[in-house]
Amino acid sequence: MSSATRLYLSNDTSARAAGAGLLADAWAERPEVQLIRLSSRGAFFLEPMVERDSPEGRVAWFNVQPDDLSSILAGVGGTPVRSIPFLANQTRFTFANFGETEPLALDEYQARGGLKGLEEAFRLTPDGIIEELRVSQLRGRGGAAFPVWNKWKVAQQTKASEKYVVANADEGDAGTYCDRMILEGDPFRLLEGMLICARAIGASRGYVYCRQEYPAAAAMLRAAIRKADEAELLDIDGEPFPIEVVEGAGSYVCGEETALLESLEGKRGVVRARPPYPAQAGLYGQPTIVSNVLTFATISQILSRGGTWHASLGTEQSRGTIALQLGGRVKHPGLVEVPFGLSLRQVLDQFGGGMAPGSRFKAVQVGGPLGSLFPSTGLDLPICYDAFAKAGAVLGHGGIVVYDHETDMVDLARHFMAFTADESCGKCTPCRIGSVRGREILERIQAGGGTVDDLALLGDLGETMKLASLCALGGRAPYPVLTAIEHFPAEFRSKLRA
Amino acid sequence: MSNHEQVEKILRQVRSEPPNMLKTLLALQEQIGYVPVDAIPDIAHSLRTTTTQIAGVLSYYPDLRVTAAGRHVIRVCMGESCYANGCGRLLRVLQDSLRTDVGETTSGGKFTLDTMSCAGNCAVSPTVLIDQDLYGRVLPSQVETMLERYR
Ligand SMILES: Cc1cc2nc3c(=O)[nH]c(=O)nc-3n(C[C@H](O)[C@H](O)[C@H](O)COP(=O)(O)O)c2cc1C
Ligand code: SF4
Ligand code: FES
Repeated sequence: MSSATRLYLSNDTSARAAGAGLLADAWAERPEVQLIRLSSRGAFFLEPMVERDSPEGRVAWFNVQPDDLSSILAGVGGTPVRSIPFLANQTRFTFANFGETEPLALDEYQARGGLKGLEEAFRLTPDGIIEELRVSQLRGRGGAAFPVWNKWKVAQQTKASEKYVVANADEGDAGTYCDRMILEGDPFRLLEGMLICARAIGASRGYVYCRQEYPAAAAMLRAAIRKADEAELLDIDGEPFPIEVVEGAGSYVCGEETALLESLEGKRGVVRARPPYPAQAGLYGQPTIVSNVLTFATISQILSRGGTWHASLGTEQSRGTIALQLGGRVKHPGLVEVPFGLSLRQVLDQFGGGMAPGSRFKAVQVGGPLGSLFPSTGLDLPICYDAFAKAGAVLGHGGIVVYDHETDMVDLARHFMAFTADESCGKCTPCRIGSVRGREILERIQAGGGTVDDLALLGDLGETMKLASLCALGGRAPYPVLTAIEHFPAEFRSKLRA
Repeated sequence: MSNHEQVEKILRQVRSEPPNMLKTLLALQEQIGYVPVDAIPDIAHSLRTTTTQIAGVLSYYPDLRVTAAGRHVIRVCMGESCYANGCGRLLRVLQDSLRTDVGETTSGGKFTLDTMSCAGNCAVSPTVLIDQDLYGRVLPSQVETMLERYR
């Protein structure tokens, strides 16, 4: 076996969907191959990608078929990983381990700087940890972009017999997958962030609420928790800190933090009115930090490298890096970690590589199903919270979906309203009723029976939903619809009844 | 084992403090394939709650089902990246090929066709999930060969 060549192949869900599993099966019996299954680098347009070591670092073969094995073993035609522009032009901090390590190898995680943040957290006082986060200016990555330190401070200062740390792994926004990559590819990074949080606020128990659509992620995380437990890491100042993975059941609104808590308690995932905020009264009425997976995954390096390091990256109101997830009709879909501040155009050109063959650009949607649409004239917007807020848009969880010339904007708008109508939790009227009426109007327009009044009605309905909905599902749902009408009015008008 | 006994056994296995309705229903579905509606009184009793509460949770979550699914469950992702990459066409091809509608099971009980929201496979979309197997970059022309494996 010693003469076998080590080949690296990702075990990430998307790498497998692209064919990595076929390669593993085809090569399983080949004695000349020693296959190591890693996380994915996130350059999914190149998957399945196979790498091997060389004196100059890893060399990669792209979109590999089983028959390519002989050229790989002969070392013919590979590309040095460090000269892949899609990867070389990124600033990888949170995703630095991707494609490099085996997800469950705790020793590799530690050798590459893992657990240093946790060590630092044990050196600091809880106030010291929170101060470091304040300095870092980290804002939550789940969508609402609330300052993390502020939430932790509230939970820390609220007196209670029990406190909880909950990682939001519901990743409901279609077009986003960075949380899934972390859960599957670098699970200890999430656990480390949760442990630091527990130490800061004095929590005794942790939960990860994972969407049902991510079975591999849940399994990997459970295995990582077992490993961390064996290594006696799930322990804070001598007290056990058990972490449990709980799976959802297909409801989008259960990603909203209060609905998530209801669901964790086993109830219908209906949104709670706030205040009280979860940091004051969350799970079972106790102070609870609900944060996104990526947020937790960012925290360990803030402690190990320092808050000022984090604050030195990005723009005035948006410090650090953002994990953009490219999808739709771009040529190079994949994960892009860069400091905040690049324009949409730069991201789509430099990383997206332009449009998929045969496609012409029509619109791009940023921030998931509740995010605004931008036409080609809107691409100079810098990717940061304040610029997006000023434009009435959101970054959400960093999903970027590109639509091409074949997209029917009326049908797309209908698709969005139908989604809201399906997913509304029903707690408030503007969203529960408004989304159904909105869907009906768009169906009418799509069927050729709509009038100019219907477009005006959609506008009014949208404004009402924006202003009067209890949570951002109803409050943001009008944005993709109204921006579709705003930027592609002719398409809507051409379908109206004379 | 009668249905009633099986339900009782599962209820004993998943008992927790405090009781958790969603976890209980998911456990029943995992072992039986669906949540039998006539078991609601037993479930409510075991969880010390009302039948209305149980029925409320059961009807709320899209993944909970009250009838058995077909032997193979096919789910087409309807998320935006899949939308941009033609999941609508894919779904129509599947409907035609299986001669069944979304949410329905083919006669004979072989396939259930359904949609799903994002599988996190957006960079390799459009996505089709058949049982535990996730397929990416699926072209309408590949549907037949894909289905062959399960026929
Ligand atoms: C309808 C809706 C869905 C949401 N889905 C998610 C989700 O899937 N994942 C997530 O982290 N946050 C989601 N959020 C945001 C959460 O409510 C909450 O702000 C977030 O988990 C807090 O974590 P952060 O501070 O790290 O961003 C959603 C919000 C709304 C209104
Ligand atoms: S806006 Fe919609 S999802 Fe949010 S609380 Fe109201 S009904 Fe529920
Ligand atoms: S949108 Fe279909 S997998 Fe994400």
